[in-house]
Amino acid sequence: MGNIEFDVKKIAALAKMSLTDEELAVFEKDMPSIMAYISKLQEVDTSNVEAKEYLMETENVYRADEIKAVSEADRQALINEFPKKTGDALEVPAVFE
Amino acid sequence: MNYKTAIEIRDAIKSGETTATAVVKYYLDKIKAEDGKVGAFLETFDEEALARAEEIDALVKAGAELGRLAGVPIAVKDNILIKGHTASAGSKILADYTAVYDATVITRLREAGAIFIGRTNMDEFGMGSSTETSAYQKTHNPWNLDKIPGGSSGGSVAAVAAGFVPVALGSDTGGSIRQPASLCGVVGMKPTYGRVSRYGLIALASSLDQIGPLCHTAEDAALVLEIMAGKDANDMTTLENSEVAISELLKKDVKGLKIGVPKEFFETGIDPEIEKVVRKAIDVLVEGGAEVIDISLPLTEYALPAYYIIQPGEAASNLARFDGMRYGTRAEGGLQESYKTARGEGFGMEVKRRIMIGNYILSAGYADAYYKKALAVRTAIHTDLAEALKSVDVIIGPTSPSVAWNINEKFNDPVAMYLSDIYTTSANIAGIPSISVPCGFVNDLPVGLQIMAGIGEDYKVIDVASAYQDATDWNTFADNKNEAK
Repeated sequence: MGNIEFDVKKIAALAKMSLTDEELAVFEKDMPSIMAYISKLQEVDTSNVEAKEYLMETENVYRADEIKAVSEADRQALINEFPKKTGDALEVPAVFE
Repeated sequence: MNYKTAIEIRDAIKSGETTATAVVKYYLDKIKAEDGKVGAFLETFDEEALARAEEIDALVKAGAELGRLAGVPIAVKDNILIKGHTASAGSKILADYTAVYDATVITRLREAGAIFIGRTNMDEFGMGSSTETSAYQKTHNPWNLDKIPGGSSGGSVAAVAAGFVPVALGSDTGGSIRQPASLCGVVGMKPTYGRVSRYGLIALASSLDQIGPLCHTAEDAALVLEIMAGKDANDMTTLENSEVAISELLKKDVKGLKIGVPKEFFETGIDPEIEKVVRKAIDVLVEGGAEVIDISLPLTEYALPAYYIIQPGEAASNLARFDGMRYGTRAEGGLQESYKTARGEGFGMEVKRRIMIGNYILSAGYADAYYKKALAVRTAIHTDLAEALKSVDVIIGPTSPSVAWNINEKFNDPVAMYLSDIYTTSANIAGIPSISVPCGFVNDLPVGLQIMAGIGEDYKVIDVASAYQDATDWNTFADNKNEAK
């Protein structure tokens, strides 16, 4: 598939993930050899093969859209995991400035 | 301590020969005395385990009916949720995360009387083949402390190999149970995809992940697997009719068994000494009446590159949820900056590397060339294996191309590290069951024999492993050698 361009900074930005200068240098060095290795797949002729996401038949599992009771202890355990909160509400940074 | 297996421990507790309390104390003491140099555990649950042991002992005294794992201590990989305990998946980003519910496997094992004794070290989110990418500590191979235990379930495997527990749970996405089991001389099994519920397993690659047992004998693997297995309303990929009573089916007889030996499993970079050991192991089965059929699986060399597309693709999506918003550590700044810092500081190098690969191969313009291509190759590999399994009962080969290597040896060479899973990824890619059973030594380090069968034929791989263990004493030898250490 020709030259593999791997813009490390751009991909890290898409992944919403900061990189240290050291990580940036390592990835710029590593990525071409990893991509070259996985590009081996282009050698396989798959023109008559279906690209299945799951190999086995799966069916969606449905349930009634009903509110299930949660014990106060479980509710509190979930709230306790919030890194920031106002009362029992999860506090997050503003999405719209 | 005269009992090594889960079945022996359970029976001794049931008969009153020993008590659950004595068993738990023995293991906790051993961990305290020896785990400093192995580094298998991130935490032990001393008080809780002893309290649970007392409950079991009270049941024994009262003559009550006991579960099939009553009093058996089990170590749990750090990516399986136990309510009220930290589950960090070996990552800094989940350092403060406390599980708010039990994984389905935990619920089922608890109901069977198992005692959870601690959580074990692992490669961060399961990304690694040496347990060196853990944010917390390195785990050492109990056979030689200078060596890695394999990974990613290295803590669970080392715990069993060192005699710290009779049974541990691991998870296997591309070999993470079988490869370390091979490198540490224990039995490790990846069930058929869908056999065991993934509810409460911190997801790495959802179409490949399976939880499975690590232990000393195939019989223990059968017992633990059949308790964990079965349809679960919380995991839509669990299979119907998957509650098979494997331990009742074991025939331990390989007469007439057709063993497929794929030539490709002895071609790519295998240590020639390992090939000798594995071929000798196959001869043992032939002496028992099995027949060897040489087969070819020409797509074998493509299983690993397909895996290194599907797995990072799914992992990048699964790990998008870790952003410090709802749990974990919130980073300062506005929304975008907070995301970037939380993830940048919370994830280690290998996790970042896979997230980068995953985002790249799923990005616009590349998804067809990489991801779709990998899915098509997966379908082709599955078809190849299914075709081969029409003429043979099981497929047998090495689990790993090498024995355990030195700590740090491959740490900075990702492709070399990935290649250590070259024989294990096929089973994940195709969804089939596979077990690794100890079959000898090279340079005083354990070698594993890998046995695979068709989808749903978990009992078959366990049965052959069990017959092999009955005919050999590698397992006994491993235990003795460990005791001597």
